[in-house]
Amino acid sequence: MNYYLRRTVRIPLTILAVATFTFGLIRLLPGGPFTQLRIQLIRQGVPAEQVNARIEALQNIRPDAPLWQQYLDYLIGVAQLDLGRSISLNAPVIEILARALPWTVFLVVTSTVLMFVIGVLIGAIQAYKEGSRFDKVASGSSIFLMAVPYYIFAVLFLFFLSFQLNLFPTGNAVERGIEASLSAEYFLSVLHHAALPIIAFTIGGVGSTALNMRGNGIQVLGEEYVEVARLRGLPDSRIATKYVAKNAILPMYTGLLLLIGFRLGGTVVLEQIFSYPGLGYYLISAVNANDYPLMMGCFLVITVTLVIAVYIADLTYGLIDPRISAGDSDGY
Amino acid sequence: MATNTDTNTSPTDDTASKRVVDDPILEIEDTNVTYSEGDTYVLEDVNVTIDRHEVLGIVGESGSGKSMFASALLDAVPDPGLLTGKIHYNRKDGSTVDILQMSDEELRQFRWEEISMVFQGAMSSFNPTMKVGSHFKETLRTHDKNVSEGMEFARELLENLYLEPERVLDSYPHELSGGMQQRALIALSMVLDPEVLVMDEPTAALDLLMQRSILQLLDNLQSEYDLTIIFITHDLPLVASLADRMAIIYAFQFAEIGPRDEIIGNSAHPYTRELLNSTPNLDAPLEDMQPIEGEGPAPVNVPSGCRYHPRCQLATEKCRTDDPPFSPVDGGGGHRSACHYREEAREEIPLNFGKTAEDFDQQLVSDPTDGPNAGSTATLETTSDTPLLSLDDVEVHFGEEQSLIERFTQDPTVVRAVDGISLDIEEQDLVCLLGESGCGKTTLGKTMIGLQKPTGGSIEYRGHDIWEAKAGNTDIPYKEVRSALQIIHQDPGSALNPNRRIADILTEPLRHTHPNIGRAERRDRMHSLLERVGMTPAGDFLERYPHQLSGGEKQRVALARALLMDPDAILADEAISAVDVSLRIGIMDLMLELQAEFDTSFLFISHDLSNARYFAEHGDGRIAVMYLGEIVEIGSAERLIHDPRHPYTEVLRWATPNLDLDAMDAEDPPIREIDVPDPVDPPSGCRFHTRCPVAREACREEQPKLAELDDGDGAAACFREDPNHAYWNSEPLDGAAENPEGLEQH
Amino acid sequence: MVTETDSSSPDDIDWRSETSSAEMSQRDRLAEFYEQSIYEPAVVAWSDVRTRLGIVILSVYLLMALVEVLGLWRNPAPNQAPRLLAPFVNMQYPLGTTQSGVDLFALIVDSTPFILLMVLAGGVWATSVAIVVGTISGYKGGTVDTVITSISDFFMAIPGLPLIIILAIALSPENPILLGVILTINYWAGLGRSIRSQVLSIREASYVEASRTMGTSTHRIILKDVLPNIMPYVMVNFVLAARYTIFASVGLYFIGVLPYTGQNWGVTLNNAYNQGGLFTLEALHWLLVPIVAIVGLAFGLILVSQGMDRIFNPRVRTRLTGKSESVEEESDNENTSAWV
Ligand code: SF4
Ligand code: SF4
Repeated sequence: MNYYLRRTVRIPLTILAVATFTFGLIRLLPGGPFTQLRIQLIRQGVPAEQVNARIEALQNIRPDAPLWQQYLDYLIGVAQLDLGRSISLNAPVIEILARALPWTVFLVVTSTVLMFVIGVLIGAIQAYKEGSRFDKVASGSSIFLMAVPYYIFAVLFLFFLSFQLNLFPTGNAVERGIEASLSAEYFLSVLHHAALPIIAFTIGGVGSTALNMRGNGIQVLGEEYVEVARLRGLPDSRIATKYVAKNAILPMYTGLLLLIGFRLGGTVVLEQIFSYPGLGYYLISAVNANDYPLMMGCFLVITVTLVIAVYIADLTYGLIDPRISAGDSDGY
Repeated sequence: MATNTDTNTSPTDDTASKRVVDDPILEIEDTNVTYSEGDTYVLEDVNVTIDRHEVLGIVGESGSGKSMFASALLDAVPDPGLLTGKIHYNRKDGSTVDILQMSDEELRQFRWEEISMVFQGAMSSFNPTMKVGSHFKETLRTHDKNVSEGMEFARELLENLYLEPERVLDSYPHELSGGMQQRALIALSMVLDPEVLVMDEPTAALDLLMQRSILQLLDNLQSEYDLTIIFITHDLPLVASLADRMAIIYAFQFAEIGPRDEIIGNSAHPYTRELLNSTPNLDAPLEDMQPIEGEGPAPVNVPSGCRYHPRCQLATEKCRTDDPPFSPVDGGGGHRSACHYREEAREEIPLNFGKTAEDFDQQLVSDPTDGPNAGSTATLETTSDTPLLSLDDVEVHFGEEQSLIERFTQDPTVVRAVDGISLDIEEQDLVCLLGESGCGKTTLGKTMIGLQKPTGGSIEYRGHDIWEAKAGNTDIPYKEVRSALQIIHQDPGSALNPNRRIADILTEPLRHTHPNIGRAERRDRMHSLLERVGMTPAGDFLERYPHQLSGGEKQRVALARALLMDPDAILADEAISAVDVSLRIGIMDLMLELQAEFDTSFLFISHDLSNARYFAEHGDGRIAVMYLGEIVEIGSAERLIHDPRHPYTEVLRWATPNLDLDAMDAEDPPIREIDVPDPVDPPSGCRFHTRCPVAREACREEQPKLAELDDGDGAAACFREDPNHAYWNSEPLDGAAENPEGLEQH
Repeated sequence: MVTETDSSSPDDIDWRSETSSAEMSQRDRLAEFYEQSIYEPAVVAWSDVRTRLGIVILSVYLLMALVEVLGLWRNPAPNQAPRLLAPFVNMQYPLGTTQSGVDLFALIVDSTPFILLMVLAGGVWATSVAIVVGTISGYKGGTVDTVITSISDFFMAIPGLPLIIILAIALSPENPILLGVILTINYWAGLGRSIRSQVLSIREASYVEASRTMGTSTHRIILKDVLPNIMPYVMVNFVLAARYTIFASVGLYFIGVLPYTGQNWGVTLNNAYNQGGLFTLEALHWLLVPIVAIVGLAFGLILVSQGMDRIFNPRVRTRLTGKSESVEEESDNENTSAWV
């Protein structure tokens, strides 16, 4: 129980730290968003005495108040889900992000799960058939896959499948004009749009997952408890799942926590390529439009999403590894 | 069992030694295991028959092929090994099958239902992510047994093994202690009620006391469930107490087999005889214990002719060329040996433990002033102005790490690893710390050499507080203290940095003792010392990496490294328990010789009384028996072995295997609980009262003090030493004896 | 290497002598260094097919960088050649040209030194911070550990690319080394954590305790006992960090959020993508050339890393440099590659 409690208590603390960090980036970074925003406003011809008021309207920070006051204001704003107002889209940041977040989560979760499942399956087969032709070919391909960044797949897919063959759309999350509903049409459209990004993102991670699983699998297959289980006459399927797979996947779990972070960050490039309206897409649009409130809002939301994703992964880790909840071992 | 006075003898008793096997359960013919397409044999030409309901003890050094034999019996030789020959199994109903001809499905059913196996590492035999109970259930289910009946049986087994069934079944493996896991594993291997139990070093990772307790339980299980047990081990005396027949494996072949009494008392093979002589035990005169030179061969270069000839003291030209047949020995029912010169072996290699303990006692009694013990007290007195190391009421308590939240919600759990110990180590002294794992002996040892900071009390080096010196508060530089106190670790595998060559490893201490010497001189020093510790050619060894050395050689390098610091005291933490039996005496002798040469003191940590005895008696030292963080008895080896005062010492003495045939068959353990209590919450009063066979009400309330003995050397902490203590008038605790034999009042 | 005959120690110095004579000579030291740090690793590295291939690939990139530094190939400029020339048609422009008639090979070569420098900076920064942080917090433990662990936990909670984007806006890094550092600004955190846990277990090893018992200083213990044992892991992760640097930089150039002057692989990719490369097969090579350059470099690095742990494995070392064979059996634990 202890373990879960500790992890849960850590959540608000981490979010507080992240919010503070974001505030620091906005307010204190020389040449950072705050300065840029001010310059931009002045350039737009906003009279000097109104600049602060405008900033306050856009970013719920009062530039003339003392720093701690600004900090408190900012935190209170964040707690009330008030992230300011987007300049370019002229809407509250939180509204834009609330629409974008599900798409990003959908992309990351689906592709990560797919990557994990496929990688683990390939790696496990390799481990069972260590030294076979399949093993060699798969290892070679995995190493090669590791050398290709996911966005290269994205570009190639886009080039061939979307632009040359017109099989897939080149942007957006759903067909224009299809309302969000539980209809099959809507779902198909969503899948159609998400297919390429998800496949590209999945392939990009399969190689290293498979290699990892292969290594762990070979190690577990050499363990005495697997031998004992065979002698006890357990069916191969049970040994493969309960013994080999479970114990080989466990050490990969901690890596998975890190991986989620990298993949969430990676959506920035992915969504941009596919013009997929998720958090990353808005982040880049904000950067290109010098829309600082939106930019910082995106950053904060992506980070908080990561914190929560890692928390969930952490909890499931406690469920599948009995050793973790007992002791304090954090397996990084 | 054979010579037991017990009345309820099991079927094989009394007859085992006289009879050739007549109701065999397993007949193994011409069986080989080969690797690399038949080029290397890891088991060669095995022809053995195993009797129904017997206990066959198989003894061999590590890497002798004994585990391969175990796997062969279940046709489970690890890939890519090739198993050939015939292994006939005679079922209870009289039908016979050849295990090697079975189909996969037949084999799957056969294993565990007929022949089952217990491995050495219990921790590695259980799936770490599955509860112990699930292991039982899935086994029953796979073999189409009724699960609830099967679990009933499992509970019965666990109870017979002194475990709480519900708790164990509901635990994950890592939540049980090593001894509990091992017993749970035994229960798991018996859950399908097999005929044969093959046990491969089932107790090697455990304490002696736990080993013996488990053996005792096995003995009971064997007669209760009519088992045939094949017990494979490197520890000859251990299995001798259980076995009906014994076999010795050397270099992938059976060297000798026969009834236990024949093998122990009248062996016809030089290897067996020398192995017996090299085994530290409690009875043999020390000077007769001899190590066997050299080490067993690797499978790729097995010697020609008799494989033992490079190490055999009787070897002749014939031995070098002709392979001796594994043929019957005259007169010994089923006794066979693979040696050309059996008679000579019996004559020319006398067994050292034949001289019984009585001569020994006599010597001790008749000559009280001249014993080694007297010598040690003398040294104690002459140098006792400032001891080398002086511990005063030392306490080491480990608080378990707590997070911020826990600090508010829970009391800290404190493990009292060492609890109030006072002890003086003189110059050139020798002290053995003896006890079960978890008794705090290693912590105490490390505290003594300043590696572990005590949480209470003080530890002084020649009158200077070590920890004050470290803080720079004394006039003696800490560097001097640090180099004076050295350590040799238990596990030779991790004692040397795998990434450095021996030369680099040995350079390290020289950097401290002789910072300014050149490469050539450095090499010369290392060279000469390596030769001194018996590693020749030294120049060759210097260039090697640790993985190119055997366990014994690594331990010698570790010893050399410690000696190069020119220390005043060396802590040897179970330094020989990971080394092959036949080499142990050699390393202990070396340490003892070097002690004299270097004028150092030795602190020797062990769980094995016979090793401690060898060491303490040779070096005129003392043995301190520890229990749950306290010293409960201390004294010379002779006194401790022949006149133990504390009931716990008595228990340890019981646990030490014995080669004396008359005293061999185990009595029930003089102990009420097998498992050590949790050191987080040690029992009140005398900490031993939960297990002490003679505990009484008084022991529960008051804690006995370590008091000097009036009529012997050393001290003990038990109320029984005080004839006027309230103990004598209080009631015995549950299960404790009124006044059992052997523990009469002194 | 040294073959001494048994039992004859040349002089009378024995292990207890008090004397001390000549210093170790400079030549001895150099010879020893060469043997252990150059010759043996080279033999081991070359013995592995993957590593050998990796080294060859990386050499090609180094060669390209050299060509650029020495100015042996023309600089890229618009209209220096016919537009959209296919590769391998005109050997004057071996990799073809872009829509604005720029020599693609010149483009690739031109930015090779920049990319290599950035990759190296990223890898070195990420791994060295991770080593320092991981060893200190693992070896020291206590409060230091708690503080460091909390800090790296925090950095792990921030997704890399978005943070880099914001920093890039603020700092406009154009120097390859600064850029490399920014790209891996929080990469060290995860790596530091895993190094920490390895150090934690090495710290408990008997040989470390033996060194402590001898009074060896902490930094020497870390240098001699701890670091060599995590080296295989560190090297593999160095390569992974380098790979991450390439991927991140090219990715960010590609979507146009990193500031740049002149062109590089990512920018070329961006141009190809945005200026019609996507729509016609004629421009496919424009897209492919930078892709091959990126993938080739990453592939070379990964191949080298696959054999990297062997260099530090004394078993492999002794076997391949022809020294006496191992007593224990070989345990080939190949894959140490981490995951990201
Ligand atoms: S055959 Fe010869 S070498 Fe072998 S054990 Fe007998 S006497 Fe020794
Ligand atoms: S004091 Fe009591 S419980 Fe303790 S050892 Fe003596 S008799 Fe046993």
